[in-house]
Amino acid sequence: MSRELARRETVSAYLFLLPSLIFFVGFVVIPMLICIGYSFTNANMNSKTVATTFVALQNFVDLWKDETFLLALKNTFLIVLVSVPTVCLFSLWVGSAIYNLKGPVLSAFRCIFYLPVVTGSVAVTVVWKWMYDNYTGILNYVLKGAGLIDKNINFLGDERFALWCIILILFTTSVGQPIVLYVSALGNVDHSLVEAAKVDGATDIQVFWRIKWPQMMPTTLYILVITTINSFQCFALIQLLTQGGSGTNTVMYYIYVTAFKMTEQQGHFGYANAMGVVLAIFIGILSAVQFRLAKEK
Amino acid sequence: MKLRKTLAMLLATTMVVGLAACGSKPSEPVSSTPAAPPAASTPAASTPAAPADNVADSITVWVYPVGGWGDEAKVKPLIDKFTADTGIKVNMEWLAYADGDDKVNSALTGDNAPDVIMEGPERLVANWGVNGHMVDLSDMIDATDRQEILPAALEAGTSADGKVYLYPMFNVAHCMAVNYTAVKEAGAEANIDLETRTWTVEQFDATVKALHDKFGGTVAAVYCAGQGGDQGTRELIRNRYGTKLTNAEHTAYTWNTPEVINALTDLKNMPGIEFDASLAGGDEIAKFYQGVLKMAFCWNAAQQLDPNSAGTGEGKTLTGDEIVYMCFPTQEGKQPEEGSGVWGLGAFDTGDDARIAAAKQFIKYMCDSENCAQAGDISNFFSCRSMAEGVEIKSSNPLLVEYYSKMMPYMGEYYQITKGWAGARTEWWNMLQRVGAGDDIAETVAKYEANANAAAAG
Repeated sequence: MSRELARRETVSAYLFLLPSLIFFVGFVVIPMLICIGYSFTNANMNSKTVATTFVALQNFVDLWKDETFLLALKNTFLIVLVSVPTVCLFSLWVGSAIYNLKGPVLSAFRCIFYLPVVTGSVAVTVVWKWMYDNYTGILNYVLKGAGLIDKNINFLGDERFALWCIILILFTTSVGQPIVLYVSALGNVDHSLVEAAKVDGATDIQVFWRIKWPQMMPTTLYILVITTINSFQCFALIQLLTQGGSGTNTVMYYIYVTAFKMTEQQGHFGYANAMGVVLAIFIGILSAVQFRLAKEK
Repeated sequence: MKLRKTLAMLLATTMVVGLAACGSKPSEPVSSTPAAPPAASTPAASTPAAPADNVADSITVWVYPVGGWGDEAKVKPLIDKFTADTGIKVNMEWLAYADGDDKVNSALTGDNAPDVIMEGPERLVANWGVNGHMVDLSDMIDATDRQEILPAALEAGTSADGKVYLYPMFNVAHCMAVNYTAVKEAGAEANIDLETRTWTVEQFDATVKALHDKFGGTVAAVYCAGQGGDQGTRELIRNRYGTKLTNAEHTAYTWNTPEVINALTDLKNMPGIEFDASLAGGDEIAKFYQGVLKMAFCWNAAQQLDPNSAGTGEGKTLTGDEIVYMCFPTQEGKQPEEGSGVWGLGAFDTGDDARIAAAKQFIKYMCDSENCAQAGDISNFFSCRSMAEGVEIKSSNPLLVEYYSKMMPYMGEYYQITKGWAGARTEWWNMLQRVGAGDDIAETVAKYEANANAAAAG
């Protein structure tokens, strides 16, 4: 290939990348930089009456004294710690159970598990809200009918239950994509290796852990990272169901409240941005750890 | 090959159009340089008036769902009439209380605010007004207007430094409601005085007990899932032993009092009353309308006219039970103070004189002209003025007339303009949640009042 041809191909490639690059830089990179910049200021909505000044690390110092933030951080980690392993294990189990089913049956299962993913989160949440209803919800009706409870449970209004109810919804909306990915990954496993292992006398469990599991590691890593990020960024469910009440506040929701509701609080934009930076750091650290562990495997 | 070329061309065109679409300004709010008003926007039968040279020919109006003003079909004829009379095209956008503040705050941050907004003084005056986002409308209010406008409403629309950020439009006293059919079934109708619509704490407690004994479960909910409809819980609690939640100057919150603590203790210990953190005001109304709850604390004239905005008839639940509106209960001999609701129009300072002039023309048309009556009728509330430009303004609806005579004399002061109100509201419903969860009431009240005062201090 001549140098001219190579140059022209490189230029073409960059030109094709340009639209995506513009979007990526405009809507991801620049806002990220602005967010980091604002986190060191007392920026607020009322810039006409209150000037924005540089406050160095004050927002970050204040965060660790803010009871609401610490509670939101605790809830966020609880969501991540519960939902990430359960989503991965459940998806792996379902994927393993259905991947070698006949075509239409497999498709039916994939559709069933993927349905909550493609359904709008608002619609899903509204249905769950009806089911959890304190007065007329079907869950209370069934539990009472079965004699398991005497008095209705206020699922979304009682802090003993509310966060777990939200984790359950998050779980149902999160497993669809991992199941489809695991089914696909299991289908791509090298069958000659499986057959060779079986000929050598390997049990099904040994075949799974020693032959299939290593080949699915890239898929698992992707699922772990995506589920972790989604769990850290749990927002819509909180906003639609509890508005952060009943002990369900998360960092993402607290960022939103601070930025857009607490507009009378001095420096609310800067403070919300500092929370965003802290959240991004946690997500980055956890994702890096996951990559590292997967690489070692 | 030709097919591939065509496909490539199509893809390239799509990308370019996509980029162009992303680069263009959003259609709403309108750009600061208004386009000529399209002929189709005015009624076909008449020739529309043309706006003056220094007045923009198009404005954007954002409306919170205040009473009937949340219903586009009811509002549109009046807006069309305005356009026909003035030649100013109006781009209306309806906000929801759930996220309306977010939209406005985002618009303000992005210098993209609408020209006119309809809501109450707690937003227009205490928040956006004092923070320099609104236009002072003092020049629109002359001596005659000051005589015609309800003084309390005009005071609520005015900031401490005398600037008018809200032109009062209509007002109402927020009250509570009972399922009168259920009360009669429970044999407690003697507690309900249909003539005065007032009752004592003892009568209220006896009614709750009778309803609880008859139907079991939750009779009424001290809802606290969010700030929506929180005026109901505030008025219920502060009227029980008669107290104020803010100081007279509206500079600090004063709800850490024995009256509030005792009221919360009474309600927490009362069978049939539940502190429900899964319901906000709108949810409570829906449960009351469905007949699940037998009392509602989030009520007013608009709800009485059209319960749950369901269009199933005045003063009736879904199952046809009779709804009776009542004052909040007080101690014997004490006069109730109902929640004060005042709404009006304000103009955002867009920095464009022509747009501000058009916005003021819109405000004048709706708040200070013969159209006031129609604007008030749409709301299902009561006009804030008795006369406008020589025309008497009064409601023709018998239910509203009755409501006005029975409830409006008890309308309390408008304390929602206290500094830090948005933060204080959050502290209020969080406090109720903690009380409902069983925390020590006195400590909880003290803690959340302190938080509210910290918000007030900025």
